[in-house]
Amino acid sequence: MSGEEALIGKIREAIVGGISEDSEQLTREAVDAGIDALVILNDGLMSGADEVGAKFESGEYFLPELMLTGRALKAAMGVVSPILEKTAERTTDTGVVVAATVKTDIHDIGKNMVASMLTASGFEVTDLGVDVPIKDIIAKAQELDADLIACSALLTTSMPFMRDLINLLDAMGERERFKVMVGGASVTPEFAERIGADATAPNAMDAVKAARALIRSGQSGEDS
Amino acid sequence: MRNYQEILDRAADGPYCTEEEWDLERVAMTTRRLVDEHQLAWDPEQVVPNDPALADAVFEAGFKLVQELGGYSRTTERIIEFEPGELEAGIRRMPQQLEMGEGKDLKTVVARDIMDERPPIVWAGNPGVPTPERLFLPMVMSWMQEPIVDLVTCGSLSEVDGREVRTGDPSEIIATRRELQYMRQGLKRVGRPGMGMLGAQSAVSEIGDLAAAHPDYLRECDAHLVPMLNELKMDHRNISKAVNSIEYGMRNASLACVIVGGLGGDAPGSAVVNVASFILANLTCLADYHICHPIDMRHVATTTRRVLWVESIVEQAFARNAPCIIVSDIYPKSGALTPELLYETAANAIAITVNGGHLEGCGSADGVVPNGSGLEARFMGEVGHAVTRQGTSLEEANDLILALLERYEHVFDLPDGNRGVPFDEAYDMERLTPKPAWEQMYEEVKTEVREMGLAEL
Repeated sequence: MSGEEALIGKIREAIVGGISEDSEQLTREAVDAGIDALVILNDGLMSGADEVGAKFESGEYFLPELMLTGRALKAAMGVVSPILEKTAERTTDTGVVVAATVKTDIHDIGKNMVASMLTASGFEVTDLGVDVPIKDIIAKAQELDADLIACSALLTTSMPFMRDLINLLDAMGERERFKVMVGGASVTPEFAERIGADATAPNAMDAVKAARALIRSGQSGEDS
Repeated sequence: MRNYQEILDRAADGPYCTEEEWDLERVAMTTRRLVDEHQLAWDPEQVVPNDPALADAVFEAGFKLVQELGGYSRTTERIIEFEPGELEAGIRRMPQQLEMGEGKDLKTVVARDIMDERPPIVWAGNPGVPTPERLFLPMVMSWMQEPIVDLVTCGSLSEVDGREVRTGDPSEIIATRRELQYMRQGLKRVGRPGMGMLGAQSAVSEIGDLAAAHPDYLRECDAHLVPMLNELKMDHRNISKAVNSIEYGMRNASLACVIVGGLGGDAPGSAVVNVASFILANLTCLADYHICHPIDMRHVATTTRRVLWVESIVEQAFARNAPCIIVSDIYPKSGALTPELLYETAANAIAITVNGGHLEGCGSADGVVPNGSGLEARFMGEVGHAVTRQGTSLEEANDLILALLERYEHVFDLPDGNRGVPFDEAYDMERLTPKPAWEQMYEEVKTEVREMGLAEL
């Protein structure tokens, strides 16, 4: 195994182990050693994140591991992102996400899992927390020029506020600017379609897949 | 703790902590350490453990968790700290018996022991399940009319007069009061007007709860929910619900829906968090009794191996170390008119009963659609009573549950779940009786479970 492969392997291990200090330091070492930032990203960070996702899906890992990996990935991305921004166009199917549990709902575990999983998959996630007024969600998405708004409601009596969000985007003439993903225990594909959302997913893993598909569809839309 | 205002003072003045730090650094990491220190482990083949030392260790770890951390106010982003002596006093304050309802329908709920000979209370209903108005009254009457049922609860009205209900909106007040009008009406119609209720399930926020605190709606002899947030958190919305009961006198049902696989990690850590939640709820929720409702992070239902183990060990931990009234929710994956709903109900009812809990349910079909009925509530009660009549041991209970798991565990792999049918497709809506196919399924499963070893069923 070459020195480069060994270092990339250590980065992957740090991500899988959720050790922020190591992931940041090793990524810095890799950059200093002249390893291509894209190789660090894909073979180290994303490869580790994929392994964590698989462990989570199989029941070997739980929420704390997911959160620690998200944190380790964020620390490492702080090192490679500036380089990637300088040297390349966006080359992966990730993007900027604003996540929130909507107004009146205070349940956050599902939203946290999705936010952690998205972060662990390379998305840049701003989590606004719970009970967030829809105008605040939209304002943050505008401020960050987000690609995707991911909103959640566990309570059926809070779900209507997700429709309000989409209606408000429409009324503001901003609907085409953002993809909107909705989620929550009682959210069905039929509900998502009825309120005009772009996607929903039954769990955090599928949410990542859906988010990637939405980003890709946005990119192909830009290309066309 | 002299009075509840001290909780508010501590929530205002306690040490500042961000929510992210609370979740990860405090709850998740401390729980992980305590699980390691106490060498807590679980065995998927022992969903009803028979290891008193393990139950005691889970309790000790849970007590240490809340002693080290306290609780968290999401409203003020402060830690609500408690002295060990206050936590111990909170445990001592827990009622050992509680009268619910009134008149001839009054029932006394007691703190049960492991393998207690006294039957569990059968608290029937689909707690919090979103329910359209046209189905609400017939659904609740379908379990109110069952002779084996002692107390009742209900779903949440998802729409009223054809309009959707929104949390924190005036419609929440209308929905909560309408729900309780239907409940009282239903009880009168089945001839049990004094039966106790856990109500105001449509009151998600404090405004619904406030609107229900009137003898025409929730009586003093009824219960309402004082929920905690995941994990070990309160906010002023839920603190207001506790405060709302102080002069009025409703029974406070603390509700900590610990996510199994969430911040506590695997089953042992989740059990530790659940123990800590109950001890905290004695003080922050002013709990008269605790609702035990761990949720499987992946499958929601309370009938997975992990959740059955958590419910079992938590009930045992309290029965041995801090006896109190625990009512455990049954939220099966499956819905009406499926045999799996009955298998899941039986497994969950056996576990709850033998470990010292009372029965509440069923929130059939994961509690997301109104696909439940009075028949599975009847079955839940019959199974619980059979367990105590038979004097089922922990080992026998475990064997029965393993056999039942073989019959229903496949539902967790079904991509669309196993939701069954809505209430009006499982019941004759005029007679309020199960349709023949549902009745026959019930009889067949009952015979099967009896032959599996629950002979008293």
